[in-house]
Amino acid sequence: MGKKDMDRREFMVKSARCAALGACIGAIPVITGLTPPAASAPSAGEKVSDLVVARGNARNAVNAAVEALGGMSRFVKPGAKVVIKPNMSFANPPEWATTTHPDVVAEIAGLCLKAGAASVLVLDNPLRNIEMCLEKSGIKNACNAYEGAEAFGVKDKSAFKEVEIKGAKALTTTMIMRQVLEADLLIAAPVAKSHSATGVSLSMKGMMGLVYNRRTFHMDLDLDTAIVDLCTVLTPGLTIIDATRILSDGGPGGPGKVITMDRVIASPDFVAADAMAVEIGTWYGKRFKAAQVKHIRLAHERGLGNMDIASLKVKEVQG
Amino acid sequence: MRLQRLIQILFFAFFLALLLLSSYPVPEFLEPDALLRLDPLLSLGSMAAARALIPKAALAGLVLLAALFLGRIFCGYICPLGACIDFSDSILSKKRENSLEKTRALRHYKYLILAGLAGSAAFGISWIYFFSPLSLAVRFFSLVVHPVLLFLEGSVLEVLRPLFAAVGLDHIALAGVQAPRFNTNFFTASFFLAILALGLIAPRFWCKNLCPAGALIALFSLRPLFRRSVSDACTGCGRCVRNCPTGAISEDFRGVAHMECITCLKCEKICPEKAVSFRIRRGVRDRKAIDITRRKVIKAGAAGMATAAITLTGLKHIHGEEEPRPLKPSNLIRPPGALPETDFQARCVRCALCAKSCPTNTLQPLWFEAGISGLFSPAVLPRLGGCEQACNLCGRVCPTGAIRPLDLDEKLFAKIGTARIIKSRCIAWEQDKKCLICDEICPYNAISSRLLPDHPVTVPVIDEKRCNGCGYCENKCPVTGDAAIVVEGAGELRLSKGSYRKEAERLGLVFSAKAAAEDHAFEKPAGPPPGFER
Repeated sequence: MGKKDMDRREFMVKSARCAALGACIGAIPVITGLTPPAASAPSAGEKVSDLVVARGNARNAVNAAVEALGGMSRFVKPGAKVVIKPNMSFANPPEWATTTHPDVVAEIAGLCLKAGAASVLVLDNPLRNIEMCLEKSGIKNACNAYEGAEAFGVKDKSAFKEVEIKGAKALTTTMIMRQVLEADLLIAAPVAKSHSATGVSLSMKGMMGLVYNRRTFHMDLDLDTAIVDLCTVLTPGLTIIDATRILSDGGPGGPGKVITMDRVIASPDFVAADAMAVEIGTWYGKRFKAAQVKHIRLAHERGLGNMDIASLKVKEVQG
Repeated sequence: MRLQRLIQILFFAFFLALLLLSSYPVPEFLEPDALLRLDPLLSLGSMAAARALIPKAALAGLVLLAALFLGRIFCGYICPLGACIDFSDSILSKKRENSLEKTRALRHYKYLILAGLAGSAAFGISWIYFFSPLSLAVRFFSLVVHPVLLFLEGSVLEVLRPLFAAVGLDHIALAGVQAPRFNTNFFTASFFLAILALGLIAPRFWCKNLCPAGALIALFSLRPLFRRSVSDACTGCGRCVRNCPTGAISEDFRGVAHMECITCLKCEKICPEKAVSFRIRRGVRDRKAIDITRRKVIKAGAAGMATAAITLTGLKHIHGEEEPRPLKPSNLIRPPGALPETDFQARCVRCALCAKSCPTNTLQPLWFEAGISGLFSPAVLPRLGGCEQACNLCGRVCPTGAIRPLDLDEKLFAKIGTARIIKSRCIAWEQDKKCLICDEICPYNAISSRLLPDHPVTVPVIDEKRCNGCGYCENKCPVTGDAAIVVEGAGELRLSKGSYRKEAERLGLVFSAKAAAEDHAFEKPAGPPPGFER
């Protein structure tokens, strides 16, 4: 714990240097259904960044990114039930970049608890054996350091609840984890990685880890359209993408080429966050525009968020 | 409570604890198969059938050594099957009378069964799993009791889950209870319960008449040091004779057939005159210890050899590497580190501990897919689960080394088969649907998604040199029914000794996950990489 406090102090010193910080708080309308109204009222005329790219090691970067968005208390109200959705679907070590770095998950959980969250559940429906995924990814252990935060792999059908998706173009109904539906805030915390079927797997694709039956996405429906349908009901209030290292190819299960980026991307707009992750990363040895990823483009077109990075107020901070 | 009962209960609790702990991750120090190896029939029987010295199975020597001094204490104190039988006997006791005449005549059958097993072992065929008490008990608790209990737990949880969630008990609300499923479980249950039901005829019917492990121990119990002694206070009431569960006490109330006595101390406890005690005594051995003729033993041995000979001439018997290829099922996948098939079958005691330990439930007892002699032997069923690369439990818990204990690094190279795409079933190949789940899940990068002419979506292609046979592709293939990608036994590595890594390297197999991304065997496809648009 001592080390963690130190990190924060360090961060505070650094962030004090950041002149624009105060101006960044608030002023963003409630973009998504799950986002509670901003805790601090926006002051008129102040420019607020839509998206933050923080550099540094995992914990510092998460801290800096959240702070630059106005602090976790903007998203987490005291007593709130928070669900964090990382990638922990594979029983691989963090170095493979197939799962979210445990430090990223733990730091987010810690910030939520500090902001007064009543409980923080870290949830995923892993592809592989639950115990192994929780253990090998390091996420279970990392969360154990925080009283009130815990990671679970959930596969039992009875833990899911049927949800109708109004206005769906492909996925009209699906079963979603009850705890997610009852949460006050959903935080997407994916690792940035390539995906053999959807180009990349980021926050939007990651939402498939909260449903019971993924099979139908692949088998019966257009995968990208179904992902966007799902995202109309599973909309994270805050997205923090772990790009401390990215899985540039060989995703989502790896092994593949891992590129160290030392970055964390945070935004209340998950489409924007995903778009940024696509554009700052190198995938299969090339660079891509966000619009080249079908599900991101579809989500943009359907108004779930903004993939047009150029039109966003982007802030870069050092964590 | 009698001392014997107390110790028996403790050992049974130990047995259950070992079984329960025998699931991923097993603590480093634990040897979940320790009790299995105490069974002399299981240990010596596998050595005989496999014609191999199995050092760790020498543990059973302790039991035989103990028998020289203490008689059949294994049966009375340690054997979990004996404990189950005692328990069911206590329930069944109301429905039967303990008639000595009825069962004494059958006593020698256990020796005949032992002789028969020796006969079949001479041909390298092992039937010991029908009789070995530890194999029977572990199999029953692993394949039947444990899954059923989990199923019941899951059923209760399913109903109460919303309730726990509502009161904030996330631990319980999110607990995953996945009852494993097993092939042959109904038969296993019936067979075990039939053994218990023999208690309707007489108590410990199985132990005193049929159990060849008991027979083997009895052969070492001719003249134990610790034995029953009757003082002159005996009035000849006959209570001990009537109540002896193994019928070991002779009609004169004083003599005892040491080879039958399991030292349960019951006679000592119930004797109204306190005339019976167990103490260290020296004395001559029981003359008429085994009521059996040499002729009968030879006949039994010959019968055992005959069963083996018939098995060996069965169509589906797998004779080894030179097996005519059409007759070996292509989907027979043995666990990683399994010995070459003949040795594997001879050594495997069908205890199902590997299946119990398997975290993905993919290890399943077979019926007759691998011949009659392959009955109940474990095979990988990839459609149900993949072989997890971070796990090596099946080899670790195997009591006889039928599956070699390999460390994780070595196990990585123990290739169990090779995946094959059934293009006509694959929705990417056949229906132009974007689906690359097999590529996604493959832990070894053996499957790549390629854009080929005439295919609007990328299609999966397998690099067999990278395929470890783990079966995750088959497991996760979203096609209904049989998967569009299946693992076949082709290319499996079955080494009785030596390094799998070296053999794999010699064959040019690449399972090193790290290297996979850098030197992928396939050329880069034209156009954008999979999933990206132009």
